Amino acid sequence: MQRIRVKAAFAALAVSALALAGCAGGDTTSPDDNASSEGPIRVVVFGGIGAEGILANNATTSVTAAQASVAAVNEMGGILGREVVIDVIDDTADPTVAVTRLRELMASDERPHVVMNSGPSTVADAMIPILTQERVLSFNIGPTPTSGDPSVSPYNFDLSASVPDYLGSFTYELGERGYENVAILHGSSAYGELFGSLTQETFAEAGFTISGAQGYDNASLDMTPQLESLQATNPDVLVLDAYGAPLGYVLQGIERLGWDIPIMGNTSVSATGLIATEPPSGVLGTDQVRNLTMQVFKSTKFDPAATEVNEAVERMAAAGDILSSLILAYNYDGMLLVKAAAESAGSIDDVDALAAALLDEEVQQAANTQMISWYRFTADSHTPHVAPEDFLFIGPGPLVNGQYQ
Amino acid sequence: MTIIMSGLAIGAVYALVAIGYNIVFLSQKTFNFAQAALMMLGAFVAYMGIAVLGLPWWLVAIVAAIVIGGVAALEEVVAIRPVKDHHNLLVTTLGASIIMEGVAQLIWGGEPRRVPFFLGDGVIDLAGGRVYPVEIALVIVVVLLVVALTQYSKRSMTGIALLGMSEDREAAMLRGVNVRRFAFWAFVFTGVLAGLLGVLVGPKTYAVATLGAALAIKGFVVLAIGGFGSMWGTLVGGLIVGLTEALAARYIGGDFANLSVFFILIVILMLKPTGLFTRRTERAV
Repeated sequence: MQRIRVKAAFAALAVSALALAGCAGGDTTSPDDNASSEGPIRVVVFGGIGAEGILANNATTSVTAAQASVAAVNEMGGILGREVVIDVIDDTADPTVAVTRLRELMASDERPHVVMNSGPSTVADAMIPILTQERVLSFNIGPTPTSGDPSVSPYNFDLSASVPDYLGSFTYELGERGYENVAILHGSSAYGELFGSLTQETFAEAGFTISGAQGYDNASLDMTPQLESLQATNPDVLVLDAYGAPLGYVLQGIERLGWDIPIMGNTSVSATGLIATEPPSGVLGTDQVRNLTMQVFKSTKFDPAATEVNEAVERMAAAGDILSSLILAYNYDGMLLVKAAAESAGSIDDVDALAAALLDEEVQQAANTQMISWYRFTADSHTPHVAPEDFLFIGPGPLVNGQYQ
Repeated sequence: MTIIMSGLAIGAVYALVAIGYNIVFLSQKTFNFAQAALMMLGAFVAYMGIAVLGLPWWLVAIVAAIVIGGVAALEEVVAIRPVKDHHNLLVTTLGASIIMEGVAQLIWGGEPRRVPFFLGDGVIDLAGGRVYPVEIALVIVVVLLVVALTQYSKRSMTGIALLGMSEDREAAMLRGVNVRRFAFWAFVFTGVLAGLLGVLVGPKTYAVATLGAALAIKGFVVLAIGGFGSMWGTLVGGLIVGLTEALAARYIGGDFANLSVFFILIVILMLKPTGLFTRRTERAV
């Protein structure tokens, strides 16, 4: 029933987005008309750097990644011999602000060739229909139900991995470790609920036994009851979705119960600063995280041998602040993809040719992207299809320049 | 037993918020919806003092009491005193809590900060269950606080004056009680309390900017169950809400924890609309 509800919600959102895009209809302007065919290639990155708290940190990292991406491309001689320039627009993570600024931008003499979105998905949901109408190539890290659907958003490419990709990595790792009985604990956020329902389906389809699944209210201060309930089912491993203070309460609960259980956290867990901070402010190195491993991209774990990733991190550190883990740095790959696509298409101005080139496996490989090694966009899906090999499950460590050490 | 203790500790935190609500209600016949936000700020001051500056806990508690008392005084002057219609205080105190949360976000960001407890952070075995020392401290402190406040309100002139104000503000004024001054200091006292308790609440909940929002509603539910104005009611209300939440999450499912709490609230209010510990008063008109 829950699955049906999720699908129904997605369908409703898709219909809404289609309707909005349809209503917005009207004139379609070719970029050739406004975006300059000569001079520098213009890129605009939207981000909620003026938003509150963690949203601002995430957006800052994302914007820094976009700036470093442009720097990397210019170091390589630009795109088709043209320099790339980037403007940053602070949308305060507010869809209304984002739409207003985007409309202003499109009506100006400085139309961008490429727009990058730094999330959240509410902003992406508002912006992508306009970018589609305006025929502007865009990259998005806040996926919506339709942002990766080429029939709705033909010029948008999602850079963040999809939930099935994350779960594929979990399934692979569970198998590798030889676990059979899996307990799931997830939050009450939209993502947490989706994670909870899809993990149950995916794990069951992969042949694992779901010993128990529990949700918790994100405003709860203690998850011990849910944990004790899961403990009673005697699982081999606990798969965990938790972010921020709730993660702390979960770890406290496990410690309180004296439950010696391997914990596999999702990327929400690895994005929480508490586990990357040593006492007294954090829990890094304490018994609470002794059994914790968490999902990250390979690029989020520092590897001295990964020269190109390390160079990318250096560029980002030079370009600005990295205030969260590199899981928010997808935008670094954006301009690398554009460069490869433009050089394959022989033009930066033909958005149809660029979008088609980005579907070419050879172009994606030639882009030599660093945050995710291969995006695997297809004609049916502009969402990355990230292989389990691109993920790691690592123990907590200090976070330096967005990478776990 | 572990679940019972977990429920009692959470109930104690909710009760502490409800006590703050109650003091303001007794003195001003209104609610300070920023009470939970004051406690959140108290937890952050405790974090700064203990985790960052490494100061002794008692000094941090005193400093926090002064700082948060000052914040409460400011709130009273800016968000309470100028408002003529008491109904509008819901909006202004809610606005004050939003400002406090925003300020906390700006200063400390959105990440939770751990606050070490001065008696240790290791789990201990007690009566067949496992519990953190801070949770025992929270339960003891809330009981002592309720006893102390109840006795104070009965035995001291200030307490009797406050009770008089809550019964009939005009009559209290006629008896020479400076109601405005009493109301102000009662408000400040809730801030002082929130600051003092930061060294206890922070280790349980972490210092996190969203803490106020998490505590505000449950604190109000505790008050509604126990009865507006009753200190013993906050204790019993906290016990009911904490245990219901914990036991429902354990034996029915996490999704039913809040549902169960609000179900019990509705049942109690249907049976006794004034709450468990408040008597219905009749007025001759």
